[in-house]
Amino acid sequence: MPDLSDSFEGSFFHKWDVRCKIITILCFCFMVASISNFAVALIAISFALLVIVMAQVSLQRVLRRLLAISGFMLMFLLIMPFSVPVLPGDTIIVPNGIQWMGFNMRGLYLAATVASKAVAITMMMEPLFSTAPLPVTLHGLSRLGVPEMVAQMILLSHRYLHVFRHEASRISSGMKVRGFRKRSDLATLQAVANFTGMLFVRSFDRTERVFDAMKARGYKGCFPEPLVLKIYPLDIFISGIGVAMGVLLIAVDKNFFI
Amino acid sequence: MHDPHMPFSHTVSGETLFSVRGLSYSYPDNTRALASVNLEIAKGDRLALVGHNGSGKTTLMKHLCGLLMPSHGKVFFQERLLEGENLDDARLKIALLFQDPDDQLFGHTVLDDAAFGPRHQGLTKEAAEAAALGALKQVHLEHMAYKAPHNLSFGQKKRAALAGLLAMKPEVLLLDEPTTNLDPSQEQVFLDLLKSFSGTIVCISHDLIFLYDLCHRAIVMEKGEIHHDYSMKELVSQKSALRGHGLDFSFRMVLPALKSHSNGSEYDKDQTIIKPAGKMVESTLKSHSKALECDKDQTAIQSTVKLHTHECNRTPLLHLKGYSFYYPDGTAALNGIDFKVDKGEKIALVGENGAGKTTLLSSILGLQKGKGEFFFDGMSVTRKSYKKLWQRVGMVFQDCADQLFCPSVDEEITFGLRQLDISLPERVQRMQNVLSMVHLEGFEKRVPLNMSGGERKRLALACVLAMEPEIVILDEPTAGLDPQGEELMLEIIRRLDATLLLVSHDMFFVGELTNRTVVMHRGKIVENLTTHEFMKDERLGNLNGLAYAYRRESTHAIQMLQHEHEHSHLHHHLHSHIHRHGDVVHEHFHEHAHEHPHRFVHTHPGEEKSHHHAPRRYHDHQHPDHESETHDHMHD
Repeated sequence: MPDLSDSFEGSFFHKWDVRCKIITILCFCFMVASISNFAVALIAISFALLVIVMAQVSLQRVLRRLLAISGFMLMFLLIMPFSVPVLPGDTIIVPNGIQWMGFNMRGLYLAATVASKAVAITMMMEPLFSTAPLPVTLHGLSRLGVPEMVAQMILLSHRYLHVFRHEASRISSGMKVRGFRKRSDLATLQAVANFTGMLFVRSFDRTERVFDAMKARGYKGCFPEPLVLKIYPLDIFISGIGVAMGVLLIAVDKNFFI
Repeated sequence: MHDPHMPFSHTVSGETLFSVRGLSYSYPDNTRALASVNLEIAKGDRLALVGHNGSGKTTLMKHLCGLLMPSHGKVFFQERLLEGENLDDARLKIALLFQDPDDQLFGHTVLDDAAFGPRHQGLTKEAAEAAALGALKQVHLEHMAYKAPHNLSFGQKKRAALAGLLAMKPEVLLLDEPTTNLDPSQEQVFLDLLKSFSGTIVCISHDLIFLYDLCHRAIVMEKGEIHHDYSMKELVSQKSALRGHGLDFSFRMVLPALKSHSNGSEYDKDQTIIKPAGKMVESTLKSHSKALECDKDQTAIQSTVKLHTHECNRTPLLHLKGYSFYYPDGTAALNGIDFKVDKGEKIALVGENGAGKTTLLSSILGLQKGKGEFFFDGMSVTRKSYKKLWQRVGMVFQDCADQLFCPSVDEEITFGLRQLDISLPERVQRMQNVLSMVHLEGFEKRVPLNMSGGERKRLALACVLAMEPEIVILDEPTAGLDPQGEELMLEIIRRLDATLLLVSHDMFFVGELTNRTVVMHRGKIVENLTTHEFMKDERLGNLNGLAYAYRRESTHAIQMLQHEHEHSHLHHHLHSHIHRHGDVVHEHFHEHAHEHPHRFVHTHPGEEKSHHHAPRRYHDHQHPDHESETHDHMHD
């Protein structure tokens, strides 16, 4: 999550009511997921790109998100052409007469469509999560019906993920400096079990201490509201545009205009 | 003689803030943590809670802020029982600072966190943020307000945690080891902040020199009971009481910077303490002569004890040449490091937090690989040999919990030995040896997680020593130890016969254990000189946040309080012995005053001024003649 200071003006995405933003982007994503036409999926990507530019979010972070799913996408592109069932009319490329290695162009098309939709949806996540502090986004979610406790747990998990990662890395260093190297033997399994157990014990202890610290500062089950949410007509108007874009994509995909 | 039954000498004056009556507490496994504790704390008190690890200090503190509920007895805050709605109200007035700031910084940003308390006090978002920003300004962190807590350094986190409490404008600050793991400059900042706090302070710490500067009252706890309630001056002046509770830090009373190497005695005009001559000089020269075998002339060492460069032709055990390390974002953590370690040397690596010490150690351990030349025992360290450095370099981490992960002590110690493929009989032999070396005989089947902080620290050292490394690296070996644990650790490290690399902010340990000091600053080695020279150079100390001016002042004041020699004067006794009143012979506690010469601790305000002969009311010593003679006193 990026650091957002009060001095940062941001785009209209930053000022958009968080509930409207969540609903609109999620609706758009679901509609993109239902597309079956590769060309329309590419249009969805260009829409997502437009949103990214308008939301003034970091391109580097968008690329990092795309990199995270790239392995999964690559797997689709490599496997599906060889694995989809052959239907009448399919174009099959058979290298050097090896029948079982038939490369189905329809499979490639399907994989490219799935990958494009995934790319478009992943790109939309950055404007969703980076244009408001996490507590505000979670507050919006809880106002939309996600249980308050779940939102609080996500917020604390995000904060303590870094702490636990550091603890795990320090214990791991402690093992390495005493010669531990992962091997495929029982001793390695035992050492990894000890490591996991220790991390669990320490995490549990820390959880209790954090809860104590919260109680000591007046916590009685509720985090203070990070801000008062209010929906203006402009928020609804922007949501309408977002949903309309999604509907337009579906309409084109289903050949509604032809 | 330390008398645990000596009555409390401290009387509470002023409005009572806390009243603890007959407080007992047992943990769910029936371990008794507190037993019949009675305590009054007045408004504005500056109270130190001291005692062994496990004596019940933290448990008592948790009762004061209602995090634990008594098994028996009652705790009152502002004359209201600390439970129910009273407790909810009290929590907004009582602030508790945890030892580990990560426990306390649960907000998404530093500002969110600092505003958490004020929001629960009922302030609006704007008012709470204004209070939070004010508190952050107070701790000099306003520029970090919008940062996530994990982006802060440890010292900054500690101050941010304090800001979160100060924003609530509390009436009471409860502090659990507030200065642990802080470098001296951060510690000084923290001390100034606490001194400027106008409310009541209750502070747990093992650092009596810090407490001496902050508090004026001391509660000594032992096995869940309050053994003494002294003024701070009384506590530090009573060596027997300190020693009885593992708090005697007198071994620290000579600051190495103040030792003179010019004559037979270690005397400084600012300090009256005198240590047996020659100890440090001898050890320093011995170490140098061992380390630098090429320097055959001892006189030459004395005159050219400066070790800025090693002209010796002998191959160093470790040699880094033009070594640099960059973080992924391009920040230089190490920049052109030239660092040599000879076999047998005892070297201190000092510098402010973030100077690059940990990165350098990680490189030496083979955990991180930077750019530049790296030689070990004359051989260039290749990619392959880098992975085997662990066989020759051992390190005890600052937080020993990071390297203890096995379910029993014996498994813990033999973990490294198994990686070295040491045979079973030798593993057992080595384990016995190191356990004896660190005074943990008979601990083989104990669970490390359940051992005390000091024991765990010594166990971590034992794990490393069992592997017989050529270089032993100790990262802040005294962090979190009580004075008794520190003294024991000092004794163990002194006896180590290995090349030693000590990373510490504790200038006393640096002075006692090392003969060369390498000073790091912003990823570079800025000085490489004898420890003696380093200690004399206050400029270097200030540059690296290692200044210990207030420690020196406090130490001096405590030395004055512990000054002891024979005097004849009128003094009071409260003791029990068989005595006679005419025909009646009986024994009970009674008080009387008399005058005779005896040795006692007292203050000397100045050479020319009269002595302070009665820093405390009662004196405690034997009177063989008086104890059987007839004497009169009041009987109830």
